Amino acid sequence: MILIYILTILTVITFFVAVISKIIRISSAPVHLRWELYPVPHEGGGKAKYGGSRLEEPDWWEKKIHKDSLGELKVMIPEIVFLKGVWEHNKQLWIGSYPFHFSLYLFIVNIALFSIVTILKLLGNDVLFSGNIIGQIIYYAILIFAWTGSVLGIIGTIRLLFSRIVDPNLSKYSSASHYFNIIFIGSLYFTVFLWLISGRDFVADVSNFYYGFITFSTAVEIPTIGYWHIILSLLFIAYLPFTHMSHFFTKYFTYHKVRWEDEPNLPSSKLSKKLMEQLNYPVSWAAPHIGADGTKTWLAIATEIPKKEK
Amino acid sequence: MSSKKIDIKVTDISKGQGILVPIEPVDEIKLPPPYDKLEELPGFKKLTQQALDKYDGYVDGVIAVGVPKPQNEEEEQKLVESFLSGLMKLFSNENNWTFLQPLVLSMEHCAKCQTCNHDCPVYEASGEEEIYRPTYRAEILRRLYFKYVKPGSPLLKKFQYGDIELNWTLISRLVELSYRCTLCRRCAQSCPIGVDNGLITHELRKLFSQEMGIAPKELHEKGTVQQLEVGSSTGMNALVVKDNIEFIDEDMSEKVGFKVETKWDVEGADVLLIHNAGEILSWPENPGAFAILCELAGIKWTLSSEAVGYDGVNYGLFYDDVQLARIVVKHAEIAKKLGVKKIVMGECGHESKVLGIIGERIIGGDVHTENALTFMENIINSGKLNLNPDRNYFPVTLHDPCNLVRIMGVVEPQRRILRKIAPKFREMHPHGVRNYCCGGGSGFAVMSGNNFADWRMHFSGKMKFKQILDAFADEDLNSNSPKYVCAPCSNCKGQIRDILDFYGAKEKSGIYYGGLVELIINAVDDLKEPFIDFDMM
Ligand code: SF4
Ligand code: SF4
Repeated sequence: MILIYILTILTVITFFVAVISKIIRISSAPVHLRWELYPVPHEGGGKAKYGGSRLEEPDWWEKKIHKDSLGELKVMIPEIVFLKGVWEHNKQLWIGSYPFHFSLYLFIVNIALFSIVTILKLLGNDVLFSGNIIGQIIYYAILIFAWTGSVLGIIGTIRLLFSRIVDPNLSKYSSASHYFNIIFIGSLYFTVFLWLISGRDFVADVSNFYYGFITFSTAVEIPTIGYWHIILSLLFIAYLPFTHMSHFFTKYFTYHKVRWEDEPNLPSSKLSKKLMEQLNYPVSWAAPHIGADGTKTWLAIATEIPKKEK
Repeated sequence: MSSKKIDIKVTDISKGQGILVPIEPVDEIKLPPPYDKLEELPGFKKLTQQALDKYDGYVDGVIAVGVPKPQNEEEEQKLVESFLSGLMKLFSNENNWTFLQPLVLSMEHCAKCQTCNHDCPVYEASGEEEIYRPTYRAEILRRLYFKYVKPGSPLLKKFQYGDIELNWTLISRLVELSYRCTLCRRCAQSCPIGVDNGLITHELRKLFSQEMGIAPKELHEKGTVQQLEVGSSTGMNALVVKDNIEFIDEDMSEKVGFKVETKWDVEGADVLLIHNAGEILSWPENPGAFAILCELAGIKWTLSSEAVGYDGVNYGLFYDDVQLARIVVKHAEIAKKLGVKKIVMGECGHESKVLGIIGERIIGGDVHTENALTFMENIINSGKLNLNPDRNYFPVTLHDPCNLVRIMGVVEPQRRILRKIAPKFREMHPHGVRNYCCGGGSGFAVMSGNNFADWRMHFSGKMKFKQILDAFADEDLNSNSPKYVCAPCSNCKGQIRDILDFYGAKEKSGIYYGGLVELIINAVDDLKEPFIDFDMM
């Protein structure tokens, strides 16, 4: 058990280090040229609805910019919770992808619930088993999420795996890791399912594990399938940020920092200072018409008259 | 789907010699009569032996770029090395700060779910030809990125991202393939993750141009290079342009019955109007109508006679950030020198995009710019024009130029104008930000070398033609009573002109095309004669 606790610590560290360093890497990239794509949901004045922008206003630079952050949430929430984009553009895929993703959400909710009850237990309130109504609600909620998640997850896994294998549109573009990832995630659903039907008290088992981990206790007992599930889950969590599946958090950047990023370059703004720095980056593109030598800056190259090409 | 499809995989791009997938016109997008007979249309022109001997990069039997054949193995090896060195630069802060962040995000997070595929008009029109799948060229670059740019164990990378063999065959075909996407970014709208295959294509083109010096001559030599050297991508110098405008002014004055006079280089003007200079040569009534509009509205406006200042074209947007920067910097310098309050871009989508949003982060925010559609709506709202919509009593539909609409969010001004001045206005489907590209985007409208024009008609432009016909479905398509496609963008107009010619749509169905400003002037009640003369179009 101690080994699993150590693995848990290593997993948590790996996950956060990998996620944070990826966030730092992406956000420290240079400011790019504007590349937004409409509709941009934070456009105010009813424009977001049809995809309009402030550029529809005459002399827009003299007007106050209305940014409607709620508008972004209105798009993000259905996108995350229901995979709305996939539903609208690829219903066949959604049939597998939605249960597959939704089950992961349910498992994440369970992780949060188990964490809360563990903290409460540490504080002396064993809410799950104290017999009070809130404890009962949490107990059954976890159980329902686990059942729904594992069953839907298995269905989603089978469907996605099937599509990836038989649909040439998908198989032609799938590397070995695509199949591996689906099976890997599917194994999490399957092991929970086996745990649930093993006749054990799933909620008690898992909450004991959480409490045991926090207190580093060796007196925790869980079934073999529980070990399998925990080890696979830990490995998956550590593996996740290193794959394209890191889109679960990088999607923030593709949306907020590219697709919806429409900040105007106002004189003397922070943005304009940053851009000025970048215009002083040296250029080393080798085509003759560029006229770069590795030291000349973008500014110099953009303002000089290029030599006549032969 | 086409019956004799060749089963192509991503890795096939580097295999074999010659044409990877010979394409031919297909009937995937069904057109209504009298346009439903594919066999009556000209097919793809056969490439000449001279072209076959001279060029490489046969991906589909079409030549858009014309990649010169290396003379020997040594030269071929050098080109491969040059590509690799460009690949590294494409992912470096210094050389590609302009688009690095979105590019890396698009490289690393595609789920290969293919949700984006059916939003691509080229992929659809081709009968789902594998090489035109929005993810096909993107996947090639992605594999190269993971193989050569990203550190890590080769075995692990192969497992995660797949493999691809890099050789000259791949490179030369990829050059051509990067000119089979109009950069319309419709596919990017449907990607749930936010991956942008249009951007990836754009970046590929930059690598080829900025590192290897490979770009279509219409965009480079005859485009940006000529514009920077002579003053305009049309080849017009200041004298010629002034001459042409003088002629247009005379013509307009005659037409409207009062003096229309373009002012040049007026310091402190409210508006510096920069047209796509192609308008002056191909559609002189468009800058003419602008001049009338400004006169009627009493606007203090000017054109610039300084080189580059009279041509809003900036093909750099489509293939080369350095050329893009050079031209936009020049536009900004001219506006600053004249001390104008704002630049108003003529009816040109890509010019509007460069001066309106893209170039803003190069030239700074102290040069104010406004697109033509917003500018015109403001004039109409000012009540200075006496408009009579009945003068436009013919069916009108509206094309949405990708650069103005999908990319800039200028959606409603043109519609509000049309609702006021065109009683028989009807939308295309889909429209607004989801409209389809005309098929001439990203420079294609000016590219017709070898057999590329045929490709534009059969593949990239077919969806647009179907949309146009559908918009007029309640009219008699067998009658030549006039129907008007309003395309407020110079390049889109060029492409729509070519499509209508190709299908004989003017003769068969009376389908004409033009800009928005012409419709506005046509609705001005004080003019003796209609401004739009269908007999002369
Ligand atoms: S670009 Fe987006 S929609 Fe297309 S395959 Fe990749 S993740 Fe899916
Ligand atoms: S950008 Fe447009 S043309 Fe290019 S792949 Fe996407 S949808 Fe197709």
